[in-house]
Amino acid sequence: MSHADRTAPQTRHVVSALVVDRPGTLNRVASLLRARSFNIDSLTVGSTQEAGRSRMTIVVRGDEAHTHQVIAQLERLVDVLEVTDLTHRPRLELELALAEVEPPSGPKAEAAVREAMAQAGGELLATNPDGWRLRLADTPDRIEGALQILRRAGLRSLVRAGSVAMAIGAATSSEPTAPQLGDSSA
Amino acid sequence: MNAVAAYQPAVAGPARETGPRIGARALCEALVAHGTDAVFGYPGGAVLPIYDVLREFPMRHVLVRHEQGAAHAADGYSRASGRVGVAMATSGPGAINLVTGLATAMMDSVPMLAITGNVPRAMLGRDAFQETDIVGIALPVTKHARLVMDPDEVPMAVAEAFEIARTGRPGPVLLDFPKDVLQLETSAPVPAPHELRLPGLLRPVRGDVPEADELVDLIARAERPLILSGHGVQISGPEAVDLLRRVAERAQVPVAHTLLGIGNLDETHPLSLGYAGMHGWMHVNKAIQHCDLLIGIGIRYDDRITGKVSTFAPRAKIVHVDVDRSEIGKNVRTDLGIVADAGDLLAALLRRLPECTPRHAWLAQIEEWRAVSLNRSWHGSGGWRHGRLSADYVVAQIGEASEHQATLVSDVGQNQMWAARYFGFRRPYAHLSSGGLGTMGYAVPAAMGAALAEPRHETWAITGDGGFQMTQQELATIVSEQIPIRIAVLNNRKLGMIRQWQELVYDGNYHSAELFGPDLVKLCEAYCMAGFRVHRPEQVPGVIAAARAEPGPALIDFQLADEQNVYPMMPPGAGLSELIDEERG
Repeated sequence: MSHADRTAPQTRHVVSALVVDRPGTLNRVASLLRARSFNIDSLTVGSTQEAGRSRMTIVVRGDEAHTHQVIAQLERLVDVLEVTDLTHRPRLELELALAEVEPPSGPKAEAAVREAMAQAGGELLATNPDGWRLRLADTPDRIEGALQILRRAGLRSLVRAGSVAMAIGAATSSEPTAPQLGDSSA
Repeated sequence: MNAVAAYQPAVAGPARETGPRIGARALCEALVAHGTDAVFGYPGGAVLPIYDVLREFPMRHVLVRHEQGAAHAADGYSRASGRVGVAMATSGPGAINLVTGLATAMMDSVPMLAITGNVPRAMLGRDAFQETDIVGIALPVTKHARLVMDPDEVPMAVAEAFEIARTGRPGPVLLDFPKDVLQLETSAPVPAPHELRLPGLLRPVRGDVPEADELVDLIARAERPLILSGHGVQISGPEAVDLLRRVAERAQVPVAHTLLGIGNLDETHPLSLGYAGMHGWMHVNKAIQHCDLLIGIGIRYDDRITGKVSTFAPRAKIVHVDVDRSEIGKNVRTDLGIVADAGDLLAALLRRLPECTPRHAWLAQIEEWRAVSLNRSWHGSGGWRHGRLSADYVVAQIGEASEHQATLVSDVGQNQMWAARYFGFRRPYAHLSSGGLGTMGYAVPAAMGAALAEPRHETWAITGDGGFQMTQQELATIVSEQIPIRIAVLNNRKLGMIRQWQELVYDGNYHSAELFGPDLVKLCEAYCMAGFRVHRPEQVPGVIAAARAEPGPALIDFQLADEQNVYPMMPPGAGLSELIDEERG
């Protein structure tokens, strides 16, 4: 079960880290992940409800032991307060993407673009003759599904923000039980 | 030599000063408050504000000849005493020269503090003269590194640095001070312990360890149990070392040790097996491969111990106890992982363990292996081929002469393995070596720090001619500071371990293994210190006695046989059952 086991199944793990908001904290985390050859899909960082605390959402690819090592190593950083593996826990997860596609050549093409947006919380920002610009905001897999359609429609430019994720559970049990946007507990 | 004259014992307890003083004074005051009595350093533009006030404080400054020496000296100071050693360097090249020493301390979990100056805040990021991002460089090789940007932060930064360095799994901390932060005034007091703000610092849960129940069950059911003890036992403290012996005796479990676990148990204790791993004793490695319960305490199960992981301890349930959760399961499969301080775990075991009867069959088997193993690769007559001087004999003679009580600081390579195998260690904190990083050049400067930290023990550096030449500039330091260390250069005029690998692994393709070096006796003469040379086995005891009688530092150039190897040896990629041993006629 060592993290060097390259034959174990590689799956997507969502790790959430609460960190001290200080210059260099992102550097410390990124430096550690690089130095230990951990594979990262995405890393986002932003403020929280508490002043001086930031939340990082780190998506890594690997087996359970690998993720355990990522978490244990992150915990050693003095500026990291708490690390949680959200992979198998109820969570809200959301990613933002900005895209520009070819202006649709006809009604069928336009329907495909609108269908892609409908799948992934999309919004049309501009329909210029030189290109349609749009925004997607949904779970990473729904965004990936929409992008497959958009690639066929002529995807010219794409920027993805990486996942942000929030644990939901005992502390948020008053929330509706119906699936929410990106609610992976469903 | 006013540094020596100014030396006084450290003041007891923190003195809370709140009057305005410049950052440099606040820094020195904080160091003294945390018990610092010696600083190993080298001045430069960015730290001159500190040197301008250093004389006012009861700390001895040891002026090294290269900043790497300062870092290793601070490391040696820490390992020998358990206190936090302090190294100081200027910005740019000075700071970067500390890096090898920081990485050495990081790998071996040594608490130390590095203080560096940097360019004034307004110049940061402008590629100013001697500017470098030392915090960025130091991040992966320190437990924590921090740029202190406000004079008011100085006392807190130092207090937090000490706390980080010595809490839980220890490690080096670097504090970088822009020059103007050292020059501006602050009234910030030395904080009290409860004022530290370190919510993210991992603090081990202390006290009883409930998982010890399960371990007691495993020990009760085991027929061939074995403890493999590491640095974590000594890091926990002298109580843990004592508890290890009592647990071993109570449970009747033999104890092996890693390189940095040397001294966990007196090697003459009947349950002490000795040194394990790549160049460890054959009987110890056999015991690991045949035991049915392997209890690793305060170790990393690193590759120099395990060899090929898939063939390591194949018959054993593997237990891993370490204070650092990230170590459990990192390198080997673990049947029982316990995150705990080694001393706490041992105390918890002792409370639970019944008095056990000796496992006669297991111990007899080990003794049978040991009888063969101890007589292999041992040249008790002092001579190797053609009666030329044998390294194992030299090391053993130094051990005997110092009644096995000396602090021995080894370098890296063959000398390190010979020292580990043949000195005969009796007490903890007596063996210092760069185990994890394998830093050549460590021995002489680290011995310097160890001798200052623990002057009641005589201190020996055992080094090869290669490692010696990497930091030999520190001879000037030990002479000018009159630090009475003894240096034994195991001189085979080669990079011996390189030559050994080239002989055994690279078909005798010797490249860069021959090493020209200076005439060491003449070098000593040039540095105004005592130097001796030994060619023949019969000269060894007399010259060791002469070197020990010197009031100041002394060096012995042991002219060894040419091509002696360290055996047994685990070849690269092999497992512990595949050791090669010396062919003897």
